[in-house]
Amino acid sequence: MIKVKQGGDGQICVVDPATDRLTAANATTFKDEMWQLIDKGEYRLVVDLTGVSFVDSSAIGALVGVLKRLGNRGEIVVCGLSGSVEKMFRITRMDKVFPTYRDSAAAAAALSERL
Amino acid sequence: MSAFDHALLQSGIKVVVVDDDRLQRAYISAILRKLGYEPHEADNGDTALRLMTDLNVQILICDLDMPGLDGIELTRRIRAKQTGFYIHILMVTGRNQRPERERALEAGVDDFMAKPLDTVSLTARIRSVRRLIEHEEILAERERNLVAAKERIESDLRAAADAQRRMLPDPLVQIGRCRFHSALLASNFLAGDMFGYFELAPGFLGLYAIDVAGHGVHASLMSVALGHMLTAELFRQRALDAQGRPDPAALVRFLNRHFWRSDGEEYFTMFCAVLDQGADTLHFCQAGYPSGFMLGPGGACHPVGRGGYPVALMPDVDFETDRIEFPSDHLLVLVSDGALEAEDAAGRPFDDHGVQAFLTATDRKASEIPVQMRNALLQWRGGAQLEDDLSIVVCERMRAA
Repeated sequence: MIKVKQGGDGQICVVDPATDRLTAANATTFKDEMWQLIDKGEYRLVVDLTGVSFVDSSAIGALVGVLKRLGNRGEIVVCGLSGSVEKMFRITRMDKVFPTYRDSAAAAAALSERL
Repeated sequence: MSAFDHALLQSGIKVVVVDDDRLQRAYISAILRKLGYEPHEADNGDTALRLMTDLNVQILICDLDMPGLDGIELTRRIRAKQTGFYIHILMVTGRNQRPERERALEAGVDDFMAKPLDTVSLTARIRSVRRLIEHEEILAERERNLVAAKERIESDLRAAADAQRRMLPDPLVQIGRCRFHSALLASNFLAGDMFGYFELAPGFLGLYAIDVAGHGVHASLMSVALGHMLTAELFRQRALDAQGRPDPAALVRFLNRHFWRSDGEEYFTMFCAVLDQGADTLHFCQAGYPSGFMLGPGGACHPVGRGGYPVALMPDVDFETDRIEFPSDHLLVLVSDGALEAEDAAGRPFDDHGVQAFLTATDRKASEIPVQMRNALLQWRGGAQLEDDLSIVVCERMRAA
């Protein structure tokens, strides 16, 4: 389901979940595909949620699952949070767990500074 | 006679033979009887149709040319009927009736036999039909098994849902000078929501609401485990400090340690609180659960809580106890995110604003809030089922007697 929008060469990898709603229905697939990216050596990940209007608790669980898999090998950040997605991140404090950026350009710039 | 034909003798499958030619009928019937079938003869289409229906017949051998209802029209009528099984239609035609055969195929005839009819071709075709019928029976048996298995699973799920609901407090519970009103609506059979309240010490009440991530069996098992675990005793041990001062975050920290697993992804959100009635103070820890609402007389309504980490999602996060004033004659309303996320037909969520607008729309009676809010949400959904479990808990502080 996910689309690698940029990178995928072991540097900075920008990922679009390519869904309007990240929920129990597709969160496991999302997580599995993110794990595959990590296993291929992508350790600097930007999840671009610009096109996502709704996430549920399963989506949060999946994102944390990706973070667990990554461990201390690299970094995962999110960008493009809006409306109910932003609120979900705030209420569950995921905005403290995942660095958040306005858009993928800002996220990629921040990650490359830390390379 | 082969073992296959013997088997047929046992079952005596009915066949309707329709032909206006008496000799032809008798000839076909004789062959069928010899093969172990039970022929029923009709000399016209209407009689054949009636016999098919009355005897639940699965095989029809019909002549193409008959006065009145001909073979093609008879086939159309049979195909137009709703039967629980497939009817196999074999048609007897003249050798040079090619265009008629085309029309007959379109009407729903399965196979043809040419006149003059011989034993070999009738036997071959009837055996082919028999194989199909046997195959249908295997499929039907498989379907019956699936239906039975599905019913068994659903009945187990209903039993589990009942067991879980029995763990929830009654819709109205009074503890001291507090009344609790509640409603639960599960998205499918099983909910991941759990809540409870109890007296901890004179003047002190413990209360919590939990929403396990995900739905169904998986979420329900964890919510039942939590329902058993979260007792007044555990609150006394973990949510009050050594001096007896409320600290619900300490209980949440304990649960986080207890339920977090490095290899698991199960977690839950929680609103965990201790109400000190003497001091009119609510001590609470909001662990990823939606903010509550404090509703005062005259429609004043304020959100309660600024968020917090969910429980068992991450190992090394901290949880805080917050305090707010909770005077008597105020209400605390807790609503699981099933309400906030409920979308209408246009995809708009009910949201905090929806809950707040609902609570302040009229002077709500505490006892009516759970049911009225559930109805408002169902209306918002336009009759569509909720996608997540929904629980509504109202804590009503009564005026001093």
